[in-house]
Amino acid sequence: MVALATLVVVLVIALTPYLWLLMTSFKTRLDALADAPVWLFTPTLEHYPMVFLDKGYLPMVGNSLIVAGVSTALSLAIGVPAAYVFARHDFAGKEDLFFFFLTTRMAPPISVVVPMFLFFGYVGLIDTRTSVILAHSTFNLSLVVWMMRGFFADIPREIDEAAQMDGHTRAGMFLRVLLPLAAPGMAATAVLCFILSWNEFLYALILVAFESRTLTVGIPGLVTPHGTLWGQVAAVAVVATLPIIVFTFLVQRHLVRGLTFGAVKG
Amino acid sequence: MAVAFRNVTKVFPDGTVALDGFELTFETGEFVVLLGPSGSGKTTACRILAGLEPATSGRIEVGGRDITDLPPRERGMSMVFQNYALYAHKSVYDNIAYPLRVRGVPKQEIDGRVRDTARLLQIDELMGRRPGQLSGGQAQRVAVARALVWQPDICLMDEPLSNLDAILRLQTRTELKRLHAELKTTFVFVTHDQEEAMTLGTRIAVLKDGSLVQFDTPREIYHRPASRFVAEFIGRPAMNVIDGAIAGGRFRADGLELALPGRADQAVGLGIRPEHILLHGRPKEGAQAFRLDVKELVEPDMLLFVRRGALALVVRTKADLAGLDALEPGAEVHLELPGERLHLFDAASGLRQP
Repeated sequence: MVALATLVVVLVIALTPYLWLLMTSFKTRLDALADAPVWLFTPTLEHYPMVFLDKGYLPMVGNSLIVAGVSTALSLAIGVPAAYVFARHDFAGKEDLFFFFLTTRMAPPISVVVPMFLFFGYVGLIDTRTSVILAHSTFNLSLVVWMMRGFFADIPREIDEAAQMDGHTRAGMFLRVLLPLAAPGMAATAVLCFILSWNEFLYALILVAFESRTLTVGIPGLVTPHGTLWGQVAAVAVVATLPIIVFTFLVQRHLVRGLTFGAVKG
Repeated sequence: MAVAFRNVTKVFPDGTVALDGFELTFETGEFVVLLGPSGSGKTTACRILAGLEPATSGRIEVGGRDITDLPPRERGMSMVFQNYALYAHKSVYDNIAYPLRVRGVPKQEIDGRVRDTARLLQIDELMGRRPGQLSGGQAQRVAVARALVWQPDICLMDEPLSNLDAILRLQTRTELKRLHAELKTTFVFVTHDQEEAMTLGTRIAVLKDGSLVQFDTPREIYHRPASRFVAEFIGRPAMNVIDGAIAGGRFRADGLELALPGRADQAVGLGIRPEHILLHGRPKEGAQAFRLDVKELVEPDMLLFVRRGALALVVRTKADLAGLDALEPGAEVHLELPGERLHLFDAASGLRQP
């Protein structure tokens, strides 16, 4: 009974803002700004086409998808082999290096955003998706290494050896045997990376201004000198949360395992 | 074709010397058992043969060819691991078929070979299962099937029976022996269990501290152990070894004197297996009187722990021997140590004296 009550309270607290957001995206400007919250209203569909088509926010969805997708893929491509090495091989300074990967996440992003801006400006990547992808990969990479090390450590060493005895080269062993075995962990890690990149605001805000803007950066554009366009803000926010909801449902089982188990065991 | 370890030394990064000038040569077709206590280097020797561990120095040769630097896949060897190391994400069928697929065996051939091997190991019913749904014994069979399906020159087994329960271990042991007789594949089997070694091996290599102590048939190992270490390691209960010295044709130890004619004067360990001591109910010429300490029944045998001063011996005899039941702890027994059953080991080196 207590558990159920707690659950209900948590659900209400967690879902009310989202419900509010969802409702606002269908409210007229008048309803949205009403002094007393309006629960019953005639829904309007004007905000979605207005913001995504007329104001050209649709390409931002594509930008966000590309940035999150490529940054995730890049971080996995580099981080997964690195994590394997951390899990299986011993070398001088291994644990220090491993810790160093984590320290890259300790500095507040605002402290590195200016150097990053100057750097990308110097190499001519300002206002490109590439700059945001690279920026997001900086934090995703350490996440991949930290999470995947635990997953590889969970695979018995004998599996590596069995694969070699069965005729694999070391590369074949890694690609054909270990990666499939680590796939659930990789899926969880990938989703987490995707979400972090998808939600990221600060780097994207500083690094891109026009065509390459991501969805999160687009939202402040709806705060105009004539007032905030709450209906459109809500519409963009609803679309922005959709992939996260879908992904989380897809991999929630692995996600929990990955977050509690894989990460801790590193 | 001969398989040879030539002066192989392995030093691990932490300084542990696992193998120290290890020498061993055996012929293909044999069932070679690497036997030794933990830390003797037997598993390391097996892994170096497989190519899973590089040797620090020395060479591995197969048929005169130096394979020391070949990767595992080019050695024509397979391996059964102690924890089976099956691929959890593949079915039993795919696990067995895997080495064939990796090695590029034509597709139409794979199915027949997988099914033949599965039938040989009596696991054809389990083909669709995942490793997680198998019992220990079944997983073990799948691991053996995977190791044999591609007909390797040598099949290595690293303590493959130690995770099985006692009854299953005996059954699997017999199966392995049958497999070896049928397939004529060379087996190299690592174990610390002397009974496993004695029953399975055509020859046993006894290792101690990273070196080969003796390489012989089980019969020779039992009857002519090359050193005190081998003598005490093989046979349960362990061989009795009495420290003493030979002087003037007589062996003298604390509490025992024995005629050993024709022997040079030296300090020795005198060994005799518990099952070779003859038990007499009454005093007899050449027999020594001992006091019975503890009786242990190990049907169909009886173990007698006897004492004479500081000297303690174990005697193994038939449990149904006449008059044995009447013997109570504290009773006097008379033991004869037949001369042809005695082993002499040098006191300093532990080596067998001819």
